[in-house]
Amino acid sequence: MATINASVTINSDISSYPTSISKTMTMTKSANPSVGLDETTGLRTKKFTTTTAAVIVEHDELTDDKAHKVYIRNASTQRANFFYVAYNASAAAAGTAETIGKLYGGDWMLMPYDGNVNITVASSTASETQYLEYMVFADGIVAAKG
Amino acid sequence: MATTTARVSISSPDLMPGSALSITANTALTKAGVVTGLTQMETGVRSIVTGTEYRLGPLATEMASDAHDIASYLYLCNTTTEDTTYYIDWGIHETMIGKLYAGDWMFIPWNASDDAAEIEIEPQGGTNTIEYAFFNSDFILTTAA
Repeated sequence: MATINASVTINSDISSYPTSISKTMTMTKSANPSVGLDETTGLRTKKFTTTTAAVIVEHDELTDDKAHKVYIRNASTQRANFFYVAYNASAAAAGTAETIGKLYGGDWMLMPYDGNVNITVASSTASETQYLEYMVFADGIVAAKG
Repeated sequence: MATTTARVSISSPDLMPGSALSITANTALTKAGVVTGLTQMETGVRSIVTGTEYRLGPLATEMASDAHDIASYLYLCNTTTEDTTYYIDWGIHETMIGKLYAGDWMFIPWNASDDAAEIEIEPQGGTNTIEYAFFNSDFILTTAA
């Protein structure tokens, strides 16, 4: 059993009283919430030079309907550019019903993921190279098929 | 101009033997495509009964007319402590994406492309309690009847 801790800190002065959110969680398995996740697909970095949608998490590598967590970061610095991120079998685009959001340069996200459908992304630009970092903390990895 | 920052730290001494994991990322949340900070937020704490799907946050049409398909961010935490088998299914519209277990949090960008891209949550196991925060620049109030 491994121990994986994730902490978030959000500070804002949008309102006249400062907002400060601070929370820590330990990633655990769905079947036994007292047991930590102990598998990962590893930390990956991918370069994007086109707007063609690409699968970054293939659900058939993971056990279905589990307590996986997905971390994604747009490692680019340009706020003008972004990645669509979608929960979709084959494509991520603005009109895709399962598009979650736009991950702008420097933004990150961490979300629970059931492993039932692929995670796909699409860069907003082909004229500037963008880099994406991502990692799955898995509640079960299916052995690679031959 | 308001400043909103979000920082994540993920660490594990033993997930990958011989290579301790340490990820840290910071971002300043801004309006779409520019460096101007977000100007609106909506926070809340709710206890929600199991077995029902709930919409969390506004519909696209409840944001400024043509500005909804942009930069919104959601922080959501399941603060339930009574039973660690409690969780919340979360998703976009009718498509559930993951399970937010008791004590877990999530942070995502949300572009709310149309009214069929709303955030949905469905508690499982019993009454769950959530805390949430939306950060945006385009919420509008519903016109009074």
